[in-house]
Amino acid sequence: MWAVVKKEFKSYFLSPIGYVFIGLFLIMFSIFFYTDVFYYGSVKFEYIFYSGATILTFIVPVLTMRTFAEERKSGTEQLLMTSPLSITGIVFAKFIAATLIVVITEICTFMYYAILCHYGKPEIETALATLLGFLLLAMSYISFGMLASSITENQIIAGVITIGFFIITWFMPNFNSALTNFSLINIFSKFPNGQIDIADTVTFITFTLMCILLTIIVMQRRKSAK
Amino acid sequence: MIEVKNMTKKYGKFIAVDDISFKIEEGEIVGLLGPNGAGKSTTMNVITGFIEQTEGQVIINGFDMIKKPKKAKKEIGYMPEGVPLYYDLTVKEFVTYMAQIKKVNRKEIKEKVEKVLRETGLTDVQNKLTKNLSRGYKQRVSMAGALVSEPKILILDEPTVGLDPKQITEIRNLIKELGKNHTVIISSHILSEISQICNKVIIINKGKIVAIDTPQNLEEKVTNDNSIYITVEDPENKMEKIQEKLEGVKEIKLIAENEDKTKQYMIKSEEDKDLRKTIFEVFAKEEITIFEMKKADSTLEDAFMKLIEEGGEK
Repeated sequence: MWAVVKKEFKSYFLSPIGYVFIGLFLIMFSIFFYTDVFYYGSVKFEYIFYSGATILTFIVPVLTMRTFAEERKSGTEQLLMTSPLSITGIVFAKFIAATLIVVITEICTFMYYAILCHYGKPEIETALATLLGFLLLAMSYISFGMLASSITENQIIAGVITIGFFIITWFMPNFNSALTNFSLINIFSKFPNGQIDIADTVTFITFTLMCILLTIIVMQRRKSAK
Repeated sequence: MIEVKNMTKKYGKFIAVDDISFKIEEGEIVGLLGPNGAGKSTTMNVITGFIEQTEGQVIINGFDMIKKPKKAKKEIGYMPEGVPLYYDLTVKEFVTYMAQIKKVNRKEIKEKVEKVLRETGLTDVQNKLTKNLSRGYKQRVSMAGALVSEPKILILDEPTVGLDPKQITEIRNLIKELGKNHTVIISSHILSEISQICNKVIIINKGKIVAIDTPQNLEEKVTNDNSIYITVEDPENKMEKIQEKLEGVKEIKLIAENEDKTKQYMIKSEEDKDLRKTIFEVFAKEEITIFEMKKADSTLEDAFMKLIEEGGEK
């Protein structure tokens, strides 16, 4: 399984996708850093992440759309699926590789924290809570993106399904306030307050595991339906 | 070594493979032969565990593919149709990755990769990206990927498609060489290939096994019925009654009417008897002009066509 993680992770940087993801992320974060934090003379590191979470909506699909769709289209799926690896192992490996990219970006965001330290005393606890929430949100998005990629061999369709789903969940609370807790971004928005709510954490993890499980089921079903 | 028992694969209502059974013993080189859409790739995909059969059983070296997939898959090296490769990896990286996912012992990976690169003649291009290689080299990389884990069974789906004649000979020799210490299954629609390499042929048509035999036996089967192809000019239609005058003829069949008003017939004799001399004499008496006469050469090709046709009529 770790061989797949390693290869998938490396592939992100062999194609431009990894660089585009991290680069775009840092450009946008720098803009938010200026407009949301620096401009107000604040030292609240976590403020960048409110806008940052919306960026995630648009760039996570770039990371996930190829995971299974590309393998299916090029036929390399046959190599992977006829190896002694289990489907569960393969799905988790791809999930971990994509998550690692997000972790790298999060580590890069510490430079904003370092800059703020120069001017004042940003709260480390809140910053860490925000980073945790951001990671959980990203994991939910990645798992859904992977699910979308597993049902089609067209990367573009996988990407569009993913973005579409994120946007729908994003605006769901606008239709009915009862849907507030279905919006992943809404759930995330509590973390930058410094609260780590067990219920919210569990929601993210459950959503992630559910999507991973569905991906495994899709791959398994394709084996007998194909 | 490989045992397929009553295997059926359905796609919805369409039956791709219909209740086939066969056994392949250790050390055999088996050719899987059939026209396009006969179920060759489906059969291979089931044997390699890429897809699951609807009914029946596949046993690889004692391990059931569905119950013990990890152990069964480890025994097999598979080179899929169309030679899929990871194009962002170099040759060495690709082969190493194949070794890793095939669960080759970590300490042996380096050594085994080097060995297989040498054997397939890839050492010189090992640091090139696979996407920049020619078709022949891609084929070899795919083969190296299948071989690196030193599996006992090799399954090659149309290994020579898209190669030039020189490369075909090279791959063929490589397969022959591998056949010495591997059990090999090759699918192909090129018959000469199968008859040269394989010691057993399985002919599939419309999802069913039409024949399992050695190439020699299959050829002999069709040699026994002597067919003669003859082109004649026969304006008075004497051919209709000619059968009475020819002894030992089983069937006369009109195959084609040519534009120059000649007709081509196939004459089948009853037993193993060469009728050409008789035909010549009788036709001369009857004033039927013979333009061309030839005895059908029986090759594996004929056996193949015949079996497929028979299978289709049933």
